[in-house]
Amino acid sequence: MSGWFAPEILLTLAGVGLILVDAVAPESLRRRIPLLAMLGALGILGWSLCPESRGLPTGWANLFLSDGLTAIFKPFFLLCLVVVIGMASRYRLQADETVRGEFLALPFFPTAGLCLLVSARDFLAVFVALELVSISLYLLAAFHRARPASLEAGIKLLVMGGLSTGFLVMGIAWLYAGAGTTEFSKLLLSQAGQAANPAVLVAAGLILAGIGFKVAAVPFHAWAPDVYEGAPTPVTAYLAVASKAAGFILLLRIFGIGAFALDSVGSFFRPILLTLGIATVTLGTLAALPQRDLKRLLAYSGIAHAGFMILALGTRGEGGVGTVVAYLWAYLLASLPVLLFINEVERLHGNTDMRHLDGMGRREPGPSLGFTLCLISMAGLPPLVGFPVKLAVLANLWSAGETPALVVAVIMAVAGLGIYLTPIRVMYWEREADAIPSRRFPPFLIWVMLAAGLLNIWLGLQPRALVRLAEKAMNPLPIEEAIRR
Amino acid sequence: MSLSLTLPALLVIPLVGVLLIALGARPKATALWTSILNLIPGFLASGVVLRSGELLFGPEPIPAREVFPAKFILGMDGLSLSMVWLTLVVTLAAIGSAREGIKREKEYYICLLLIGLGALGAFISVDLFYFFSFHEVALIPTFLLVGMWGHGDRSGAAWRMTVYLMLGSMILLVGLIGLYLALPETARSLDWRVLAESLRANPIAPGIQPILAALLLVGFGTLVSLVPFHSWAPGGYASAPAPAAMLHAGVLKKFGLYGLMRVALPMTPEGWKEISWIVGLLLAGNILYLGLAALQQRDFRWLLGFSSAMHMGTVFLGLISGTVLGLAGALTLMVGHGLSAALGFAVAGEMSRRTGTSWMRDLGGLARRTPQLWFYLMIAAMASIGLPGLANFAGEIMIFFGAWSAHPILVGVAAWGVVLSAVAMLRAVRAVAFGPMSPAVEAEGVLDLRGIRETWPFALLTLALLVVGLLPVVVYGPARPVLERLLSP
Repeated sequence: MSGWFAPEILLTLAGVGLILVDAVAPESLRRRIPLLAMLGALGILGWSLCPESRGLPTGWANLFLSDGLTAIFKPFFLLCLVVVIGMASRYRLQADETVRGEFLALPFFPTAGLCLLVSARDFLAVFVALELVSISLYLLAAFHRARPASLEAGIKLLVMGGLSTGFLVMGIAWLYAGAGTTEFSKLLLSQAGQAANPAVLVAAGLILAGIGFKVAAVPFHAWAPDVYEGAPTPVTAYLAVASKAAGFILLLRIFGIGAFALDSVGSFFRPILLTLGIATVTLGTLAALPQRDLKRLLAYSGIAHAGFMILALGTRGEGGVGTVVAYLWAYLLASLPVLLFINEVERLHGNTDMRHLDGMGRREPGPSLGFTLCLISMAGLPPLVGFPVKLAVLANLWSAGETPALVVAVIMAVAGLGIYLTPIRVMYWEREADAIPSRRFPPFLIWVMLAAGLLNIWLGLQPRALVRLAEKAMNPLPIEEAIRR
Repeated sequence: MSLSLTLPALLVIPLVGVLLIALGARPKATALWTSILNLIPGFLASGVVLRSGELLFGPEPIPAREVFPAKFILGMDGLSLSMVWLTLVVTLAAIGSAREGIKREKEYYICLLLIGLGALGAFISVDLFYFFSFHEVALIPTFLLVGMWGHGDRSGAAWRMTVYLMLGSMILLVGLIGLYLALPETARSLDWRVLAESLRANPIAPGIQPILAALLLVGFGTLVSLVPFHSWAPGGYASAPAPAAMLHAGVLKKFGLYGLMRVALPMTPEGWKEISWIVGLLLAGNILYLGLAALQQRDFRWLLGFSSAMHMGTVFLGLISGTVLGLAGALTLMVGHGLSAALGFAVAGEMSRRTGTSWMRDLGGLARRTPQLWFYLMIAAMASIGLPGLANFAGEIMIFFGAWSAHPILVGVAAWGVVLSAVAMLRAVRAVAFGPMSPAVEAEGVLDLRGIRETWPFALLTLALLVVGLLPVVVYGPARPVLERLLSP
């Protein structure tokens, strides 16, 4: 029964195994933990690409399902895990060096949680999966105990995460009260063709607020910059990419194609989503402009990207859903290399202030070029992959006739250029780097960054691969499936 | 070997040059040789276009609807022919006139090659997605060129230029999205040949046409420095290093005009009729307001920046004339202006490199010290004024005749533009040529252009100006059938 080899289960086992190795294995093996963790993550990533890995244990069928979305996004999270493990094994923990094993083992658990989260077909399963993710992330954010900022990040994430869980649980309770079920397809069937039930509307609002925290949408975004800045960079990468993506997949499942996409609820929430999107994209972009710390800058830029995706979700129809799927992949491909680069900057200089980039373009031409390409991709300029997805957002807004949102999106896309050109400017044309110690990046970074840049260009010129991905994610559409049944 | 491969070769050769420079080949020589080598596919492709009217590369349009409709199709016809040649010639001259001994040579030449590559790609793209994308390729290199190697307030100029161009591009993008989505779902295409056919069969509702036309006008207009979206241009060109200003003012700016000619005007004709009074007002603003502003300039580079933006008004007049003659004139003036602006910025770059200043009152007596440079300055100024025999005159006269029946008042305005341009340029020429020799010019080490190695880029541009000026048919002849098709309802 292949279902027992689902990536979720393997991830949990791998995480537990790594902790055990760290606790009981001889020193010689313990020194190999980074390698073991990397091999484990790569192995599970490879396995998750095989169609055979898609089945789930039959006993789980009431709570979890396997469909196009899970097939597309489990590899997404595992790819994040691989990069995060790579970053974590190079991150300087200083006084906390003794707990490196746990630092490498812990990311496996939230990844298992995220894989469960995208497979969830019931709000109860969503809640359980989300808690698995959140608790591991609280630990990880506060992991660098020697740094007060890291502890602060952990506490902030804990408090805000607790608040968002509160919203979510409250929403689930209202949903059960209003609709009598928490299962997605039953919910869809019971709500289809009905007028909006006020209890369900309240529930949807509370759930939206709960997820709003996860994706750092305005007005639930305030935790993101401090936590991103304080947390160890690998954890920042995890929060910025994997955790945010999971929030969006949840939004897709319920607001994009699930019960809350029905006209009864959707017609009420679409304007709210659009308003949230406008606020998010505006605040994220404008607040990112003056930032001088790379991680903070990325936090606000992540908020802005979340805003674009919420805008796409706020438009009517499938186009928006496919756009979000493609956008998430484009975001991953551009921002993970950027975070990898920042991790190396922090390793060399101790922090992530932008002044460390001074003269980088001359000292480190290869990695700087890759970094530049990924930043331009995040800015959404052709011929990089960030462009077609932003184009898709704008096209969706136009065809939905949402002129105010379109205008804001265009203005913010232009203003956003300033966010990403600032580091580029610092690298290439600010004062020449004389006073800066000539510590060098490791050679692997050149190839990784250049490969990432080329991938961004290739997908930018041939975005059909992303379209296929989005089509696959939508197949079969749960909403159609449920109605057919 | 199929000759259609010459089209991708036009793009691959500069790309190979970029890679070679990145890997450590000698920057200037590599850039120069790739630009020379790129003339070969240019010649071959032109041969095919002149014989059979069109050359295409890429997959045939597939009828099946796809979610992502863009296809990488390259194409060249009589209209893109002259744009491609303008790009090839100006790129060659720009790289040729870049001098040795610049800081960070590698990045400098890579950026220059990328701007040329973006322009070439845009001019031979048939698919709107790639048409737009290739133009944007040049955005970041321009930002870096102005910011890293510019003069004066280079940082401010670079930001202003980039943000303006990006804003224009995004508005343009929204207009293109609207154009695409205005068609019924089965008739949509991004291939402008198919798009034009579809639009003929399914004309856009008259209510939407003016909105689309306005979006495209503002989008392309910002890229072309149409008043009131022009303020990036004069300062940007004044701050940019000479080869970057040559490429941008000479070639890249023509992207906007080319797009208007190819996409905006033929596809939303009714919309343009509705907003033509706005266009008229704006282009009159370009000619008169920027012309008067040019008169006030004391810095030669700023003068060139204003006068270059000013001439866009005349080209616009040709575009909205609605006659083949007017469009042919606009095309000829685009080429002429591209060449003369490039020559002007090249001369300005040399003058300030030799004397350390581009203030006209500090350049008095330069004609005696550097007669050759002075000669090319005269050519650029005379071309810009519209002296018969040089390319701009041919274009302007065709525009005036073509637009006379539809817009007589605007033709009058444009005629005043010629006067303003003449006054501004002649004053500049007088200030630089005559009067007592100023200390900056008298200083030791101010040398004239020497030998073929330094003069050939100037000679090349002058020759091109003369050829187009004496035989404007080389530009509008091949384009004529295309222009007729664009105008036919």
